Amino acid sequence: MKFLAALIIPLIMAAGSVDQPLDDPQAEARAQALMREIRCVACENEPISQSASEIARDMRKVVRDQIAEGQSDAEVRDWFAQRYGDFVLFRPKTDGGGVFLWMFPFALLIYAAVMLFLMMRSRARTARSGLSPIDADEEN
Amino acid sequence: MIAELGHLLTVLAFGLTLLAAYHGFSGRDELAARAMGLSAVAAIFGLVALVMAFIRSDFSVELVARHSHSLKPFFYKIAGAWGNHEGSMLLWCVIMLGYGAIAGAVMAPGRLKARALGVQGALAALSLAYLLFASSPFTRLADPPLDGNGLNPLLQDPALAFHPPFLYLGYVGFSFVFSIAAAGLIEGQVGREWARRVRPWALFAWSALTIGISLGAIWAYYELGWGGWWFWDPVENASFMPWLVGAALVHSLIVTQKRGSMAAWTVLLAVLTFCLSILGAFLVRSGVLTSVHAFALDPERGALLLAGLVIVGVFALGLYAWRAPKLEAGPVFDPISREGALILNNLFLSVAAATVLVGTLYPLVVEAVSGEKISVGSPYFDMTLAPLMAILFLAPPAAQSFAWRKADLTPVLKRLIIAGALAIAAAGATFILLAGKLWAVLGVAIGVWLIAGTITDLLRRIGGGGVARAFALSASIWGMTIAHIGLGVFVIGASVEVNGRVERTFALMPGETAELDNWTFTFNGVQSDEGPNYFSQVADITAVKGRREMQLAPQKRFYPAAGMPTTEVAIRKSLTGDLYVALGDEVRGRPGAWTLRVSFNPMIDWVFGGAGLIALGGFMAFASKRLRQRVEVDDPITVEPDLVAEPAE
Repeated sequence: MKFLAALIIPLIMAAGSVDQPLDDPQAEARAQALMREIRCVACENEPISQSASEIARDMRKVVRDQIAEGQSDAEVRDWFAQRYGDFVLFRPKTDGGGVFLWMFPFALLIYAAVMLFLMMRSRARTARSGLSPIDADEEN
Repeated sequence: MIAELGHLLTVLAFGLTLLAAYHGFSGRDELAARAMGLSAVAAIFGLVALVMAFIRSDFSVELVARHSHSLKPFFYKIAGAWGNHEGSMLLWCVIMLGYGAIAGAVMAPGRLKARALGVQGALAALSLAYLLFASSPFTRLADPPLDGNGLNPLLQDPALAFHPPFLYLGYVGFSFVFSIAAAGLIEGQVGREWARRVRPWALFAWSALTIGISLGAIWAYYELGWGGWWFWDPVENASFMPWLVGAALVHSLIVTQKRGSMAAWTVLLAVLTFCLSILGAFLVRSGVLTSVHAFALDPERGALLLAGLVIVGVFALGLYAWRAPKLEAGPVFDPISREGALILNNLFLSVAAATVLVGTLYPLVVEAVSGEKISVGSPYFDMTLAPLMAILFLAPPAAQSFAWRKADLTPVLKRLIIAGALAIAAAGATFILLAGKLWAVLGVAIGVWLIAGTITDLLRRIGGGGVARAFALSASIWGMTIAHIGLGVFVIGASVEVNGRVERTFALMPGETAELDNWTFTFNGVQSDEGPNYFSQVADITAVKGRREMQLAPQKRFYPAAGMPTTEVAIRKSLTGDLYVALGDEVRGRPGAWTLRVSFNPMIDWVFGGAGLIALGGFMAFASKRLRQRVEVDDPITVEPDLVAEPAE
């Protein structure tokens, strides 16, 4: 009986699973990561990984098929961008204006940190040169 | 009658706010406080009138007809009063006047109070003018319908009934922080005593905002049926920006109060937080952003809100540019010091807020410039903010025991060896349990470091004093401790949940089974059912894992009055996380087969529990008696003994 179940359950699952995962777990993990950053075109602000709509299901199948065919992540993204426009990708591109967008947080952090450092150093120098004692009066 | 009475009361409130603004700017604090108090009473009764119209299902009031229904449960008739644009704007005004009235009652008399009430009166007058002239909730219909449209069924939910009030207690709470900041700039009083007086307002508003955002996340988790709790949706970002800047503010206020340093920066944050709250309201209401939350969009109102933002922003920044250069810089300190650590906190939180702002507005700019539509979503925010926060969260355990002005790093780090070891051990355990998920490993390590390090610092403060000493610690120390532990709990929960979640979608015929993460699900079919104002289809699912067996009944509901379907997910909690099943659609071409979305969300309660602890910590710090004690001008710049690190043993 157990043997029979072991034989039949995978068959039922193959029929029942809308999203047949890829055999290679690493390829499946890549496909799932991609599904989380491709927008369902029929929904509002929802990635295809989360949507129950039929178009999202078809789009998930496309992702898995392309990964199975050996496409790279970038190629899969490009395919979707070509077909539906850049709007479909939650991950903004890294070329053109995207360079500014991606660099912004780190550039701002470094800039602000350097400014802070310079400010504190000049204040420390002023204090040491005796222009303003460390325990300045707090009249405010 | 009730709608006319409500309208009359809001007009009266508007007049009284103008009076409060006039008296405030003229320096008459007592008269301003009285006008503000009366105005608040009038506005509260205005809101009561609106709620009465909703309870009575008076469909001759347009708002009630559009957003309520006679069959709606009583509780949601009340909550429905603010579950729409006009009603929520009235709530905004009531809360703003409420803060003003409380300030009028509790603030120490003087010019700062008068000016603050004046600014608050002007802000409230702007808000009420917008309410009365552009979004009146009391408009009548000439031809009332027999029944109403019903509340958007997604909003018919306990978490969401309280989501707007808490969110507004936060957003609008920052209006009074703004008002004292502006008053301090006008009076040239931005200093230690000023910071002491701003702190309770900032702490309360920020804690309320934390609860408001968390309730929204909890609601999204179980109501939208996607299994997630944060989507970097533009509207979520709109609430997250004031939260981040508010978090920076409650930290920098400490430096300004205790040391008199960073005054110019602190007052800028105090002003910006409310500007970002208005920006949030604009982004939500104008519909300029594609968003799942956009259920109340109107371009014309958006333009008015933008105008309001410009007025408030120009006023504040002009005042700032005029006055800030005159603020004193305060005493010098070493980079390794309590001040230095809190500046680091502000640096990272401000960069994070700027990143969220740029990421949220970037698609708008690109579309305006090139006409192309692009998206900035979770990959961007995760990859930029996660490293920033990972670095920032290393600091609190050490920084909590830093001395002011100059700290000795070695004894502090020595004390933290156990916390560090625990963090590494937890990272190792996570690596084994969630193989290969490096962000989860890092998140758990940081979370454990935060929790263990904060407890280490608490034990240092208690020293050999035992329970008596623990109770003697001020509420602000306990607040900080609980909030930082909460942050650790949140970081652990969030990184494990996001990286360890397993999910799959199945299409099953009755009697078929599917498997996920060692669970076996048997689909027993779908039955129809009926609620007070909806029809539902209820799935019957048996889930088995080892010896555990449970029945799950996820539903799809249809609300005929609103013509909308909703999902009601089935959630089974366990110590390790939630089993989460959502019922999708009947599969086309296969009668009887339904799609099911099944996921296991590990440690999800840690996410919400951690957020709750952060808010609790904020409220505790707010309640601290120490914030009620005046800082005298000639007080030496020192701090309470338990805030100073003991010298190295």
